[in-house]
Amino acid sequence: MTSATAGHPRPVRVEVSGLSKTFGTVKAVSDLGFTVEPGSVTGFLGPNGAGKTTTLRMVLGLIAPDAGRATFDGVPYAALREPVRTVGAVLETAFHPARSGRDHLRVYCRAAGLPVTRADEVLDRVGLTAAGRRRAGGYSLGMRQRLALATALLGDPPVLVLDEPANGLDPEGILWLRGFLRHLAHDEGRTILVSSHLLSEVEQTADRVVIVGAGRLVRQGSIAELREGATGGSVLARSPDADRLAAVLVEAGIAATRSEDGLVTSTGTTPADVGARAFAAGIELHELRAEATGLEDLYFRLTAGQEQFAAGTTAPGATAPGATAATAEGALR
Amino acid sequence: MTALVRAEWTKLFTTRVWIGLLLGACLMAGGFAALFTGLAGAEPDGGQPGLPAVGTPQYEEVVFSVAANASVLFLILGIIGMTQEYRHRTATPTFLTTPRRGRVVAGKLLAYGAAAVPFALLVLAVVVGVVLVYAGARGAAPSLDADNLRTLGAAGLVLVVFAVIGVGIGALLRNQVGAIVGALVYLYVAEPIISSIGAIQGAYKWLPGGAVQAITSDFQAPDLLEPWQGGLLLLGYGLLAALLGTFLAVRRDVG
Repeated sequence: MTSATAGHPRPVRVEVSGLSKTFGTVKAVSDLGFTVEPGSVTGFLGPNGAGKTTTLRMVLGLIAPDAGRATFDGVPYAALREPVRTVGAVLETAFHPARSGRDHLRVYCRAAGLPVTRADEVLDRVGLTAAGRRRAGGYSLGMRQRLALATALLGDPPVLVLDEPANGLDPEGILWLRGFLRHLAHDEGRTILVSSHLLSEVEQTADRVVIVGAGRLVRQGSIAELREGATGGSVLARSPDADRLAAVLVEAGIAATRSEDGLVTSTGTTPADVGARAFAAGIELHELRAEATGLEDLYFRLTAGQEQFAAGTTAPGATAPGATAATAEGALR
Repeated sequence: MTALVRAEWTKLFTTRVWIGLLLGACLMAGGFAALFTGLAGAEPDGGQPGLPAVGTPQYEEVVFSVAANASVLFLILGIIGMTQEYRHRTATPTFLTTPRRGRVVAGKLLAYGAAAVPFALLVLAVVVGVVLVYAGARGAAPSLDADNLRTLGAAGLVLVVFAVIGVGIGALLRNQVGAIVGALVYLYVAEPIISSIGAIQGAYKWLPGGAVQAITSDFQAPDLLEPWQGGLLLLGYGLLAALLGTFLAVRRDVG
């Protein structure tokens, strides 16, 4: 992934340090720190309930952290002079059902002191012009995501924070969103922090990833760095002489195990290396391939067993803020 | 702050809630005015004192103050204005746009207080229209003299203050249905009980309902405050709800 080709005129660095939040007895986020470099797309990854939404809401001043801070070029969100012109956020795809999308946008134009014509401009940008005058209550999930994105873009901010923007989108919508985010980042040089529970969702867009599990930082770095760490992906070789192949590999210091059907699984190596050794030893091969995605595998291993609020547990605050919101507002709906 | 007030007006006038509540308030106040005029001077069975007859100053005071009965709908207007942010989860973009949340609540209080003024004037106009026509038909249309204008002004003030109190209650409770039901139970169950039990009756004059009665009419009421004291007390309740609501909105997490 190339990083920003055209820098935004106002690059902003997002810094998070020592962020912690406990809901009741559940530690949703513990001492979390990471940096989002200006002009990069950072994927914020972790299983459901890892504390991603809580973190993003703390970064944006909606939830008060127990400890730690998050700043935009050194300034906490709540102290930003022009928050809407600095950060755009997609956290919520809920709108007043009786208000049209265009009116929704005009409300926030007014509140932020932007000309109301911005409403039509951002509607056009996300391809929602035709539905702009209809009540948001009748919008599909994809249209809601677009309207939320349009709201985030009102102030033309250098930073965008998106919480699971692909959730509930159909394949076509996901494709559109990927392209749009790529455009916002790489053509317009915006800094983007986008959360997801699926690596594949951000793998093609993100330059860097921050992986969290159970509210803690598991790994952060560029996708390339992560790929290097992922060469531990295994190589599968099938041979009628599997025993001898395994022996040859083990002799060469490669961790190889013989499994059923003449299959040899080895790690810490490449298909080319295994193929060369087999050829040199005169061993016949019927199949030789790398185990699919080393990166996905690594992500899975990094976050395995970290879903502290996974479905089925009765921990209060099942998906951290979502659940507190549900209990606080359950009676209100 | 002007921007925030205008944003709140945009919110208010881009859904139809205000139309329904304003129509309801007009119907309610006009209906009560017609009812009181129709029953004025009637001699009910059992020797209970009836309503004062058309043409007396007592009748005029009662009938011009009925507009204050629509205060419950202004209260609901304020409650919905604040709680819709939580109910429809627009609190998130609202507080993202204006991270200093105290300013959001202050903007709402000002916006609803200001919007309630023309609404209240319309309700008063409906009452005056009904009374002039109906009481005129019954023989004595009241004149809009200083006394009657004062009564009308007091009723209008009650309406406006209740819209502001509604915003404060909404910020306090956040739960729309709960806040509305709670307000109705308080106004129509709790206060009447307090005002009818001898031992605690003395407290009634210090409650919002007692303040409203003090401002608008001392008809059939136990001991009450002076009108100006009632006015101050009611404004105090509005301010208290607003301050508490702001204080909590600033502190609570928006999840």
